[in-house]
Amino acid sequence: MHSKGQVMMGFDAMGEKLLRRFAGGSSRRSLLSRLGAALVAAPVFPLLPVSRAEAAKPDRSPEAKTAFARSAQTKDDGKCDYWRYCAIDGALCTCCGGGIHSCPPGSEPSPVSWVGTCINPDDGKAYLIAYRDCCGKPTCGQCFCDNTDRETQLYVPQLNNDVIWCFGTSSMDYHCSTAVMVGAAS
Amino acid sequence: MSRTVRSIFAAGLAIVFATAAAAAQTPPPAEVEAEISDTMTLPSPVPTWFFVDGGWDMPGTSIFDGETGKMKGMVETRRLADMAIDPNGRYYYVSETIWSKVDRGTRQDMVSVYDSKTLNLVTEIALPGRILIGSRKNNFIVSDDGRFGYIYDFSPTSAVNVVDLSKRKFVTAVELPGCASLIPNPGVGFSALCSDGSLATVAVRGAKADITHTAPFFAASDDPIFDNFAYDRAKKESVFLTYTGQIYTAKIGPTPTVSAPFSIQAAAGIRPGETKPLELNWYPGGRQPLALHRATGQLFVLMHMGEYWSHKASGSELWQVDLATQKVVKRFVLKEAMNNVEVTQTDKPLLFLNDEKGDGVILDAATGEEKHKIENAGGGIISVPAS
Repeated sequence: MHSKGQVMMGFDAMGEKLLRRFAGGSSRRSLLSRLGAALVAAPVFPLLPVSRAEAAKPDRSPEAKTAFARSAQTKDDGKCDYWRYCAIDGALCTCCGGGIHSCPPGSEPSPVSWVGTCINPDDGKAYLIAYRDCCGKPTCGQCFCDNTDRETQLYVPQLNNDVIWCFGTSSMDYHCSTAVMVGAAS
Repeated sequence: MSRTVRSIFAAGLAIVFATAAAAAQTPPPAEVEAEISDTMTLPSPVPTWFFVDGGWDMPGTSIFDGETGKMKGMVETRRLADMAIDPNGRYYYVSETIWSKVDRGTRQDMVSVYDSKTLNLVTEIALPGRILIGSRKNNFIVSDDGRFGYIYDFSPTSAVNVVDLSKRKFVTAVELPGCASLIPNPGVGFSALCSDGSLATVAVRGAKADITHTAPFFAASDDPIFDNFAYDRAKKESVFLTYTGQIYTAKIGPTPTVSAPFSIQAAAGIRPGETKPLELNWYPGGRQPLALHRATGQLFVLMHMGEYWSHKASGSELWQVDLATQKVVKRFVLKEAMNNVEVTQTDKPLLFLNDEKGDGVILDAATGEEKHKIENAGGGIISVPAS
């Protein structure tokens, strides 16, 4: 189960640098209203306890899985069908000298990101994945993927995979994307 | 000098002498005027022109004449820039971001103003920021009278920068949490789609802005409206399309109203699209999946066979929807799957479609006949002058 504590850890890790930058000029209320749910949202499996209590138990049957989830694999994170990449868009950092949660040499992880809710076929459970861009190098030319499970449009930016998420980094040049485990989504 | 080189040299000299001898026997040629390098100019935007952004892979927005298929020129747009056409035809506006040291150094955001006849830079209007995303029609819009520009910003707080294009200066930044994808709202300001499923309307009065919302009418996370929707400034209406294929029409004004939706699949006589997995059906998809011929209310939608959450997939067919009767009146089968579509606002409309490789085709919208094929036209979004 996802606890609020875990959410806040994810929130902190993702937004720490940004939050510190905003903290000087904004009240907390204003900050939260401006950021909205951007850094923590997972609409398919709601995170807030009140929402979760109201939500039906997610259906884990094969019939409930998207086309991506039905064919996803857990062995090779250098391929587009690796299970965590259900909503990734861009070059896989694992193919560019980086790792699943590591940026290639000389590039810098963005402190904020878009998120996906992906099902691990080994245990059938859904996990919240933060797609953090690595920034500061030209676009890596390897392993370009564009998966779109639960990917939305720009007015729900935290679930949109086209935005360049290199905020709070010294350069906004997009290099590649990682798929960082945040926690269980339900 | 080696023997070989010497003999080549000798042969060369022989040819020179022979040519000179031949020239001496023929009358001197008519005097040839030396050419001077110059630069072409363009007329104001022509209704049959298409403006094709190069997309992620290729800088520049190429202008193609839909009648001839020939390129007329290029507007300077770099990766992630957004272009808007002055409704009065005098300028092309490019909302863009550069850094003083290419990919690092001081960030500068601006609207660059280009003369539509010379394509020369006229001036730059500095902005406090803008979103970096690309392939969006509605992040930089111009008011119907051409006076104001609205530029979406995401830093990652959500805001809209208002620019007075006639005075060429930045006016104000309006914070707009949870909303994006802008629509001109004549005499009011602008409207935008929101994550709560509503349409926000921002009344701009100088540096002040009042924000109101319609009641939520769509499921922003479960069945989103494609943010590259269409706007008809003559009717002051927007046409929205969702991932499942629901089509809405919104009347834009101080208090916008939204029509009840209809299903594009039902309009074609097949079962409506659903959000459930394993439901194989025709779905809309692509980056710019719809184009509206405003005068006749014909909507062209890129459709593909697949499951839900395949909303970026290129269309293997183009469906023509008559909005008045809510019927699909024609289904064009495409030779290649296409990712973006736009239509001229002329009496005999022409369609431009491009694919993910950046190749484009121009079709006659009445017959589907391929008029021109343009390799490497650009893989980004397509614009036409407002009617």
